[in-house]
This record gives sequence, C-alpha cells and structure tokens, in this order.
Amino acid sequence: MPPRAKTRENGRAPISITAVLDAVGALAAGTVRGQLYMYDTNKAGGSTGFGTEELRTRVRAGDRVLWNCLALECEAFVGIAGIDIDRSVIEPERQVYPGTDVAYWIGTVKKDDIDVVPYKIHFLVGTRAEPITTTLSPTLVG
Amino acid sequence: MPQQLAIIVLVDIANALEMKTLEGNTYLFDNMKLHGSEGEGTGELVTAIHGSYWRDGSQATEQVLNWLPYSLGSIPPTVPRGYEAERARQTDRQALTELESMVAKPGSQGTPEATLTQIQQTIGTRVKTTKRTRGPAGQKVLDVTGNVISYDGAAAHSYPPPVITDVYGEAVDKKIMYPAEYGSPDMVTDGWYWSATVDSTRPGTYTYTMAIQLHRLLLQGGDWMWEPVDLTCDSKLRITSEPKRNAFTKSGLGLLPIPPA
Repeated sequence: MPPRAKTRENGRAPISITAVLDAVGALAAGTVRGQLYMYDTNKAGGSTGFGTEELRTRVRAGDRVLWNCLALECEAFVGIAGIDIDRSVIEPERQVYPGTDVAYWIGTVKKDDIDVVPYKIHFLVGTRAEPITTTLSPTLVG
Repeated sequence: MPQQLAIIVLVDIANALEMKTLEGNTYLFDNMKLHGSEGEGTGELVTAIHGSYWRDGSQATEQVLNWLPYSLGSIPPTVPRGYEAERARQTDRQALTELESMVAKPGSQGTPEATLTQIQQTIGTRVKTTKRTRGPAGQKVLDVTGNVISYDGAAAHSYPPPVITDVYGEAVDKKIMYPAEYGSPDMVTDGWYWSATVDSTRPGTYTYTMAIQLHRLLLQGGDWMWEPVDLTCDSKLRITSEPKRNAFTKSGLGLLPIPPA
C-alpha cells in the first residue's frame, strides 16, 4: 500500500465563527440587536469581543474563515442568508455539509494588513420571509 | 414560568484541551433573559427561575431544566442525528465504488498507485473505539466542513460534542434540584440528555457543577482514538417565588386555591 496521502490544505485550522441567535427574541424585536452572541475559534490568536455582536476575529492571509449559526432554542430555525464584506479581502460562499441541507459560509482571506474590515450578516429566522441584518458590525482584523 | 428551560453549554474544545480548563472556554446560555437571567453568553450565567406557591406554601408550578452541550466551531448540532457515523458509511461506499471501477477498467483513471492514493483519501482516517474509551463509535476523522480527512496528527478536525457526565454541587446537595440523565428520541442530543426538576419553594442563589467530558484525538498503538478528558464547569440558579394569585374576573386577586365558601 502506498503511504497515506496528507491533505495539506487542512494543515492550518480554519477559523470558525459561530453566531448564537435568540430566534424568539429576534422575531419579537424585529432586530438581532441584543439577541446575538458571536464567538470564534481563534481566541489564542488574538480575537476579542466574544459573546458580543462586535466580535473581532484576528485573521492572516491564507486563513479559511467559516461562518455558521446556532439557535438558542433547539426547536427554532436560524440560518445565514448572506454576508456583506469587502470582497477584495474575502469572498464567503454558501456551502452545505455533505449529504445535508444544513449550510455554512466559507472563504479564504486574500491578503495581510487588512486593518479592520467590518461585515454584515443577514440572518434567516424562523418562517419570517425577510432576513434580519446585524446592526452592530462584527469585524475581521489583520 | 415555562415548564421547560434549555441551558446551552457551548465549549471551545480545542482551547479547553490546550489550556486543560473549561474556565474562559465555556459559554452558557438559557432562554430566560427576559425573566432576569444574567451573564448570557459568558461563563458566568445565573439562571433565573420564577417559582410560585399555593396558599398553603406548597410548590405551585414546576420547573424543568435541560442541558444541551455543543462544540464551538465543529459540525453544528443541526445536522441529522448520527451524522458522523453516516459520513463514515458514505465514504466507505464511495471508496468501494472507486475500487470496483479500478478493477473493472484498469488504467482508466491514471496509474494504479495514483488511483490507490485517491481511494485512500476517500476512505480517510478511522477512529478506533474500545469499551474502555467509549468515545464516539464507528466514526472517521472529519474536518469542520463534514469531509473525511487523512489525519496525520496536525490537521484541523471537528470535535465531537462535549458530554455531560454528572451534575452536582450545592443546588443538588441542598435538594434544590434533582438532576438525572435520560434517554430520549431527541434529535439534537443523539438520544441522551441531562435534565432536572427544581424545587422553587426555597428562594436563593445556588451553585452547581457540571462534569463535562471532552475528547482528544490520540495515536495509540498505531490507531487514532478519542481519549476522554474530564473537566468541570460551574453555574448558578437564582430562584424566586411568589404566591399564585387568582386571575379570574369578579373573583378578586386573592391567593389560590380559593377556599370553599
């Protein structure tokens, strides 16, 4: 048998950003303000703002960044409809976990020295037709 | 007061394993913010429990707590139940198909070595299970996007969700809550969950501790295994209680039950 192939592109951990959304609160208020808690997996790398709507995720060129979301109530549906961000820095694309219709968004940071790049997330919440958009900006920081 | 209250325990597993503590790596939530829970989304959650009592002082409404442990940055709990095991089966079938087509049409997809390398990648890395480790069974190493990877000890991978193995401490010792692990067809927690009923007749703030098991990928005797790592995490309940009052019209706002005339 040949030696096992190694998938090199996986050598550096993707940075996962998880948005925890109080779906009932967001539907009642019509906004995610005060109903959204954001986290990432790069605390050791210098990310800050954990548990707030203004998460600051530290990234470098070549980092893969993955966004997904969780509902505070396990029976409620939340999803990400889109992410508005400077596309010269990163172009997040919608993908699904293989064999499911559960989506995540992923992209690769194109350059270093990006300083501060704010972005907006459009959330799908419950059966509401119109997505609800973040009002305070989470950011990627270089 | 709702009958059921969910407490989400979100753990940054990679960081917690690295630092050997859940402190600073655990984020707790409940759905009682509007009822006065404090510290939502932090490690310092104080869960508000609104109790009520009857005219004779006995407990009038029940409160049930359910704990849901999640892994931050891993495959989310919203994928179908048994997803990791299903991915292992899917990739095995795919590898068999590739092997069949290699045998049936030799040379059609490059050299046999290249084809075998491709099949190796399709198979990925299986995680061995033993009775002792009791880790997630029948699985392969997946990355955070749900794809199998050939694991070499350095690559990033998804972690199985944390497992609560006990709930104990002051709130249990003082018989404020009665926790236990239940089996259920619940799709989110893969069949097992911790739940407790709360005695809401004794107001106060009570701490409790969760014993939480994380799993670390470890090479043992040439096989990758999920090694259990046991850590603990504290939280609090704040119980208030008020009398149950009548709300029927023309009957006043007296205490319930209304005594017989």
